[in-house]
Amino acid sequence: MSDAFCSDCKRQTEVVFDHSAGDTVCSECGLVLESHSIDETSEWRTFANESGDNDPVRVGGPTNPLLTDGGLSTVIAKPSGGSSEFLSLGLVATIKDRANEIYKRVEDQKSSRGRNQDALLAACLYIACRQEDKPRTVKEICSVANGATKKEIGRAKEYIVKQLGLEQGQSVEMGTIHAGDFMRRFCSNLGMTNQAVKAAQEAVQKSEEFDIRRSPISIAAAVIYIITQLSDDKKPLKDISVATGVAEGTIRNSYKDLYPHVSKIIPSWYAKEDDLKNLCSP
Amino acid sequence: MAEQALEGSQPVDLTKHPSGIVPTLQNIVSTVNLDCKLELKSIALQARNAEYNPKRFAAVIMRIREPKTTALIFASGKMVCTGAKSEQQSKLAARKYARIIQKLGFPAKFKDFKIQNIVGSCDVKFPIRLEGLAYSHSAFSSYEPELFPGLIYRMKQPKIVLLIFVSGKIVLTGAKVRDETYTAFENIYPVLTEFRKNQQ
Repeated sequence: MSDAFCSDCKRQTEVVFDHSAGDTVCSECGLVLESHSIDETSEWRTFANESGDNDPVRVGGPTNPLLTDGGLSTVIAKPSGGSSEFLSLGLVATIKDRANEIYKRVEDQKSSRGRNQDALLAACLYIACRQEDKPRTVKEICSVANGATKKEIGRAKEYIVKQLGLEQGQSVEMGTIHAGDFMRRFCSNLGMTNQAVKAAQEAVQKSEEFDIRRSPISIAAAVIYIITQLSDDKKPLKDISVATGVAEGTIRNSYKDLYPHVSKIIPSWYAKEDDLKNLCSP
Repeated sequence: MAEQALEGSQPVDLTKHPSGIVPTLQNIVSTVNLDCKLELKSIALQARNAEYNPKRFAAVIMRIREPKTTALIFASGKMVCTGAKSEQQSKLAARKYARIIQKLGFPAKFKDFKIQNIVGSCDVKFPIRLEGLAYSHSAFSSYEPELFPGLIYRMKQPKIVLLIFVSGKIVLTGAKVRDETYTAFENIYPVLTEFRKNQQ
C-alpha cells in the first residue's frame, strides 16, 4: 500500500501493487495507473545453510572485446590458447590481458600462419611484460614456452613488433631492459634482506655509468654476488645462477669486469672501504 | 682497422670522409651467370678445390687462394662469389672460377656480373651509449641486449643496416656500391658522437 495520484478520482489515493501482473491499481476506483513493471528483486531466496552447488543464475559473463562477436555466441569447443603458461610465472591480470590483446591483433592479420605458434605466444607474453613495465628475461619466458628457443622467441618478437608497427603506422614502444628491472624479483628469489635489496638496486643504477660491456642481466647477477658477499648472509654462486638464469662462469666474468669499479658502485652506507678490501680478488 | 686522417700510407679525403674515418670493406658478395648447364658431379670429381654434397646443398662449393674467395656453383650455371675484399677482386675471382669451369670442358661465359652485397666495418674508438641511441632513434633501432649485444640500425637512405656496438666498432651491410657504405657511415657518425659514453 502506498499513495499515488489517481487521474479518475482527481486526488491522492491509496494504490495496490499487483506482483503477478506488474500493475499498480487504485484501491478506490480500480484504475490501472501503471502496468508491466519489471520486478528487480531476487527471483528466489538464498539461505546461509544451503549448499552452493546449485546456482540458478540466468545470465552469462560480460562481453569480451577480444572475441570476434564480443562473446555473445555459444562456443562448443575452445582451445586453451596458452593460458596455462601464464600461471607458472605468477603474472598479474593486466599482463595476461595485454598478451591476449597482442596475440589477437597479430592473429587477425592472418599473416602468422605457418609460424611457430609456441614462439609466437611466448613473444606476445614477453612484449606484454615489457609494455607493462614488468619485464621478464627471455630465459624465463623460454621456461614456459613449450620448447621454443631463445632465438625463435627473439625472431617472433621482431616479427610481431613489425606487424603491429605496420598496423598502427608507428613503432611499438617497449624501451630497453635495465638490470634494475629484474633486481627486486631476483633478490626476492634469493631471500635477501630489504637493506641488501636496496643496496643492490642502487649499485646497478651506478654501474650503468661505467663502460661495462655485459648484458644487463649478467651485471645484475654479478652485483647480487658482490652485495651478498659483503653481507652476513653470503650466497654461493650456484644459488645466484639458479635465481637469475645466468651461468656461473658468466657471473664470475662479470664480477671480474665490475671489480675495478666496486668502490664507486657499492653504496657507502652499505659497505665501508675496509669491507670492500675483503672481497676476494677475481 | 679504419685508417685515420693523415695517418697510415695515404691521407683520407676529408671532402668525401668528413669524419676522418673510412670504413674497411670486409666482404663482397657477387653473382654471375655462366650461361650453360653444368654437370656438378663431374666438376666435383675433376676439380681439386671443389666439394659437393647434393644431400646437404645443391651447389658445388669451390675455393681459390688468390683472391681468397668461395664460390657456390649451381647446375643452372649461376654462380655466387663471396669473401673478396674489393669489387675488383670479386670480379677477378669470379673470372678465375669461370676459367676453371671452362677448362673442365663446359662452354662457360661471363654474363651479368653484379655486386650483390658489400660488408664494411670500422672503429670510432670511443664507447657508445646504445640505450640512448635506441631511445631517440627508436623508429630505426632495435636494441635487445638479451638477444644480441649490438644495436641494429636500419638506415632508410641509403638503405643500409648497421650493427653498432658499445665498444665503438661498427658493421655496415647491405650496400650494392661502395659509396653507399661510406655515405651511411658519414650519416651515423654525428649520431655516434652525440651518444658518446663519457668514461668516469
